[in-house]
Formats: sequence, C-alpha cells, structure tokens
Amino acid sequence: MSANIRYSKNSIGFMSKALGQLLVSMTIVLVYGCASTEVIEQNNPHQNTATKNPVDPYENFNRKMYNFNDKVDNYVAEPISNAYKWVTPQFVQTGVFNFFNNLKNINVVLNDVFQAKFAQSAQDTGRFAMNTTLGIGGLFDVAKHVGLEQNDEDFEQTLAVWGVPQGSYLVLPFLGPSTARGIPGSIFDTAANPTTYVGLPVQLLSMLNTRANAEGSLKFIDEAALDPYVFTRESFLQWRNNLAQDGKTQAVSDFDDELEEENGSANSTSNEQKPAAAPEKTSANSAESNNSYSQASEDFGSASQSFENTAKSFEEASNKLNIISNQKKTRRSANAQ
Amino acid sequence: MTLKKTKFITLLAFCLLNASAGFSEEAKGATAKQVVENFQTELINVMKNGQKLGFNGRYNKLFEPVSNSHDLVKIARIVIGKEWEKLSEDQQKKLIDVFSRLSVASYAHNFKDYSGETFTFDSEEETLKGGVVIHSHLTIPDDKPVKFDYMLKEKGNSWRIINIIANGVSDLALKRSEYTTILQREGFDALIAKISEKIDNYSKL
Repeated sequence: MSANIRYSKNSIGFMSKALGQLLVSMTIVLVYGCASTEVIEQNNPHQNTATKNPVDPYENFNRKMYNFNDKVDNYVAEPISNAYKWVTPQFVQTGVFNFFNNLKNINVVLNDVFQAKFAQSAQDTGRFAMNTTLGIGGLFDVAKHVGLEQNDEDFEQTLAVWGVPQGSYLVLPFLGPSTARGIPGSIFDTAANPTTYVGLPVQLLSMLNTRANAEGSLKFIDEAALDPYVFTRESFLQWRNNLAQDGKTQAVSDFDDELEEENGSANSTSNEQKPAAAPEKTSANSAESNNSYSQASEDFGSASQSFENTAKSFEEASNKLNIISNQKKTRRSANAQ
Repeated sequence: MTLKKTKFITLLAFCLLNASAGFSEEAKGATAKQVVENFQTELINVMKNGQKLGFNGRYNKLFEPVSNSHDLVKIARIVIGKEWEKLSEDQQKKLIDVFSRLSVASYAHNFKDYSGETFTFDSEEETLKGGVVIHSHLTIPDDKPVKFDYMLKEKGNSWRIINIIANGVSDLALKRSEYTTILQREGFDALIAKISEKIDNYSKL
C-alpha cells in the first residue's frame, strides 16, 4: 500500500546469505526436525484454538524462532548496523553495497542459464563485466546508468521453475524466513557467491551491509504490522512467489480467491497458489518423515526451548545494562551535589 | 468491390457503435481507470505539500479521496473473512470505522514527501468475475519503479478499489492473514486495540 514496499525486497531474507556456511549442517537437521514438530504443537493449548495454516504447519516453532531472531536483531545486529551507518559516509556505504551486489551477479547469471533465460543471462553477464571493469571491481554501478537493470534470480527460483514444490514455511535461527525449497536454494547460492571463500572480515562486512540495507523495510514492518510474524510470513511468501513467476499472473488469481472467501465458500489462503506446486506430494513427504523422525522432534522441541531462553537472556542483559547505567547516573548526580 | 465496401461500412458501424457505447458508460460514472488516476493525482498532490501539511493535514486531505475511491466496507469484510459473521453489528461498525481510519493514516504516513515521483498507467484488464485490474507503476527518481496493480469492483454506478498489489504483494491478502490470525489468537478487542495503536503511532512518527 505504500512506496516503502520497495524496501521489503532487501529486508526479508536479510541475513540469509550471511552465516550460511556455518549453518549448513544445522539446517539439514532442521529440515527433518521441522517435519516432525507437529506433535509438539498439538500439545500446545494456545495453538489448538486457531485453525492451522497449511503453508505454516510449524507456526509454533517458527514464532519462537522469529522472536529469537528479533531479539538478536534488536540487541546485536541493529546496534552494530546503526554504528556502521553512523561512522561510514554515504558514498562508502553505496560502494560497499554495489561491490557485494555485483558479486551476486555471478549467481544471477548461473541461474539465468539454469532457467533457460539465455538473453537475460547475456545481459547479466554484460552487467557484471561492465561493473567489474569500468565500475572498478564493482564499487560503482555503471551498468544501471546505461539502462542495464539488474535481474533478480537465485537457485530457489530455479527450483521453482523446475517444478519443485515450495514446501512449508520455516524460520531459521539467524537466517530468517525460508521455505523447505529455500534451504537447498540458499545453500547453493552461498556456494556460488565468492564472498563465501574470502575470509571472515569480508563476510562480516557483507552481513553488515545486508543488515544496513534492510533498515528501511524492517522499520516498515515495525510500523505497519499488527502481527509482525504473520506480516513477515505473508510478504515473504508473496514476494518469493512473485519473483519465481517473474511478476506475471499473480494479480488476477489472487483477487478472485479473496472474493470467494468473502462469499464464505472457500477457506483457503491466498499463498496456497504456487508456481507448479504439487501440494499432495509435500504432505505425503511430511507425513513420511513424521513417522521416522518423531524421536528427533523431541530433541527439536528442547532446542527451540533453549533458543527462547537465549532470547530471554538477551533481554535480561540489556535490562541489567540499563539499571547499571541508571545507577551510575544517580551516583554521579549524588557526587555532584 | 461492393462486397468489400459493405464489409468496410459494417466494420465502421461497429466501431462507431462501440465508441458510443463507451461514451454512454462514461456518462454513467467514472471508469475504473479514471477512479485510479484521480486517486493517484490526489496522492501526488498531497505528497507535494506533504511537509507543509503535516500528518493531520495530509490525513484530512486524503480522507475523502481514499473513502471515495476505495470500497472500505468491502475491504474490511474481506480482511475479516469468515469471522465477520460472528461479530455483532456494533463490532462490525466499530471495525469498519477504525479500519477506515487506519487506511487513511497509513497513506498519510507513507506518502509524506515528494521527490519527483510519478504514477504511470500501463494497462487495463478485466477479470472473470466482472472486476477490472488497472496496472500502473510508480516511478521514483534514483530507485527501482514500484508496480501498483489496483483491483476494482463496481459498486452502484461507480468503480471502487478493493485491493492494491504492490510489486506482487497483495495488501488484501496480507491484511487478511494478519487480522484473522489476531482474531483467532487474541480476539476482537485485541484487534481493535492494535489497530488503534497503529493509527496513534502513525500520527506521531
């Protein structure tokens, strides 16, 4: 509904590239773990009153993860990002953004080819070449000024084009929103990004850059969302769908569904319509893993518990800091008197 | 030769007929495209005077244009979904009231200043169920353009916006998920409280 929506691109998967490597093994555990958390959710009285969203069967777990990430962002990522924005001149920030954005083009070109978009891959190759040479290693976005707009492609979209169903919505610790299809997607994207191989300082800068650029959209979510968790989920899924379909056909089908809903004849949610999705398959898969991984689900429950505890300790630590600084102030004013 | 001529004349007659049909429709009320374009013009005007007007000024200037171009009652109903039937008449009224104020407030907050933005009409499309989609985009200097697709339905003899899809993200779908979730998890009063809090925040930011 607003001009600010243009930011939501950067926002939503803002940490997804970062930390990817470290968490590859963890996410693999998560994929299977998540498939079986349903057992835990059913025991939760809070959840029983609400109808379950077919896209978000692990809402209970996801909400915990969302809150955890939110705390991490509030107490760690945001302060660091603010400091970065405060000390760094705008032209340096833009240069840093352009640099990492240019490296992303390698991945874009690869996925253009995987999706058989050959003309687009030629254009993106030209873009990368121009910015790397004339743009001095990508610090300046020269290609934009000659009208070569950047295309947005990644491996998750390629999987969508190949007909892989989206699967359930998942919120990963530190990495943020994803889907069952998004996890292998981001593993591949991480592998195809040179930033992954150059050492920690550059990776940290890359993370910082991503967080700093997400500022606008995170603020927008803060301002506009009545339920930030649902808001993030819906906009993330719609945004990913729209990207996978290259912005086509979404509009009309969307609306007709909603009118149906108004007439009381349907009870589906809008984000159910997916590109080439086969919902039966997904549910069959998850049912299968449900049986074989019921043991893992218990461990998983305790894992999510410990994330919650960590989030709480963040809050406590920050409260303590506040108290200490207040005490200092009062002591100082007492001394002055 | 004569056959060709008659063909041409019938074709011409058809064209004229269509054109006149178009005119009579226009006389009836604004077309969907006009509704959207009038609203966008108002929005840009408010943006141009945004800083001078302040939040309250923008809110007051936008209240009429928003309520005249959007079918806020219908939007509120769709957003609540099945829960609508469970609400009392007073609750329904209350909800429509706060929802309308939130819609205007979010416009007043998000379109507060002007740096050369322009709306451009792209195309028009009819849906199977008698609605019209107006495809347009907002050009922002030094930034990527934002696609705005408006869904309109006929109400009486005029067209009203019932959904806005910005860069593929449907406002209606987003709101419906949020509102139904809050209604189910926390109930009606919590929903009204949250909406009121948002309106309040918008006015302060």
